[in-house]
Amino acid sequence: MKESTVSLTGIDRRYGDRHVLRGIDLEIAAGEFVAIVGRSGEGKTTLLRLLAGLDRPNVGEVRLSGKPLGGLNPDARIVFQDGRLLPWLTILENIAIGLSPEKRSIATKLLHQVGLSERASDWPSTLSGGQRQRVALARALASEPSLLLFDEPLGSLDSLTRREMQQMVERLWCDRGCTAVLVTHDVDEAVALADRVILLEEGRIALDVPVSLPRPRSRVAPEFLETSQTILDRLLGDHTSAQTIGVAR
Amino acid sequence: MRGMRLPWEATVPLALITIWQIVSLTGWLPRTAMPAPTDVLVAGGKLIYSGALFRHLAVSAGRAAMGFAIGGSIGFLLGLWTGSSIWADRLFDGTVQMLRAVPHLALTPLIILWMGIGETPKIFLVALGVIFPIYINTSHAIRSVDSGLIEMGRVYGLGPRDMFQRVVFPGALPGILVGVRYALGVAWLTLIVAETISASSGIGYLAMTAREFLWTDVIVFCILIYALLGKAADSAARWLERRCLRWHPNYQPVRKREAA
Repeated sequence: MKESTVSLTGIDRRYGDRHVLRGIDLEIAAGEFVAIVGRSGEGKTTLLRLLAGLDRPNVGEVRLSGKPLGGLNPDARIVFQDGRLLPWLTILENIAIGLSPEKRSIATKLLHQVGLSERASDWPSTLSGGQRQRVALARALASEPSLLLFDEPLGSLDSLTRREMQQMVERLWCDRGCTAVLVTHDVDEAVALADRVILLEEGRIALDVPVSLPRPRSRVAPEFLETSQTILDRLLGDHTSAQTIGVAR
Repeated sequence: MRGMRLPWEATVPLALITIWQIVSLTGWLPRTAMPAPTDVLVAGGKLIYSGALFRHLAVSAGRAAMGFAIGGSIGFLLGLWTGSSIWADRLFDGTVQMLRAVPHLALTPLIILWMGIGETPKIFLVALGVIFPIYINTSHAIRSVDSGLIEMGRVYGLGPRDMFQRVVFPGALPGILVGVRYALGVAWLTLIVAETISASSGIGYLAMTAREFLWTDVIVFCILIYALLGKAADSAARWLERRCLRWHPNYQPVRKREAA
């Protein structure tokens, strides 16, 4: 499978008065799994949208495998928080969206890999939240993207379903080895899945922590706990000052 | 559930007809003003037997279909355009809304003056009446397609054609069908008026001729036919909805486990 290196240099993004991203410099190696954590409204999703080419920076440059990104990124696929399946297409047709007819068999294979083969001709409205996200994941993988972007895809799932989905994401990503960026507010999830966890704070990279634990990771291993704690401390430690700033504004 | 609905729906009309028949038979209701249901049935039987009913019905249905096709196409294309382009919306929507405020039947004298009393003015009036409900609902439905799904389509590499076929049109379809259903009602209403004013064939013409000869039974029968046609058009629209919106939770059959 193709892999993309991603490099962001001096990225600034403003929406009117709101300065969402400030001077972001970030290099993501090909095949690397990066998690971006941070509080709500700290620019995580904006960063993801820049990588997909859905949004452009005011200042700075996004490069993919060395080439500057002009418009929409054709090699990226997003797994959206709310799934965004087309309710009027069957589950199989949803996975096959954007695929050329000769590649339709890939959709069947992926549906099998996410364990929903018997639901191929059902409507998305008949699925549970977790099943919908499995379909969304299969759809993202169907076009064999070199850059896989996750926008808090597991945020609205119950904790058990979320664990299962995390294992599924890890397994499917390991099989493919594409570059992946996961936006999440769940520090445990970030440490469990990513090679590197980046903490965004007021639009800046506040922390960049490599995670080199062997996969699949045990969540009770001392190194795991230590890494999560470091990130959590930073997140929580900033809580009071962030509040103060919020009030001052 | 669906099997249960028909008998219930029929209860009130059947009761009304029974009362009507009794009142006619006892002489409370003079037959010259209002015929008994049985008289209406006999008149209808004669019209069916002579073939006149179907001849006039075919003419009326043809006019309704033609007017609906023309007005529906114009309304749909215009709605599509203003729904998907902000510029077209700014340019046209105000004008269309203003025209909509004029009751299209008010134009009848002018249209007769322009087009005479042939087929054209009737089809024109029906088309005019159909344009607006189709236009408004299409335009609104296109504009309210979930922008998240459109964004998804862009990320997943859909070209303009696929985007329309797979995302925008199916997303707007429930709203468009609401317009279709409403427009069908408007089409029949317009046709009745148009055929009553000036025609040499059609159900409206049949009713007007009957008036000249004081055949109240035929007049009532014609009104009944209009009611049935309106109901048939509405059922057709509903059938279309059920068929096109099978994916929609509202239109899915009741689950087996719920019935068990």
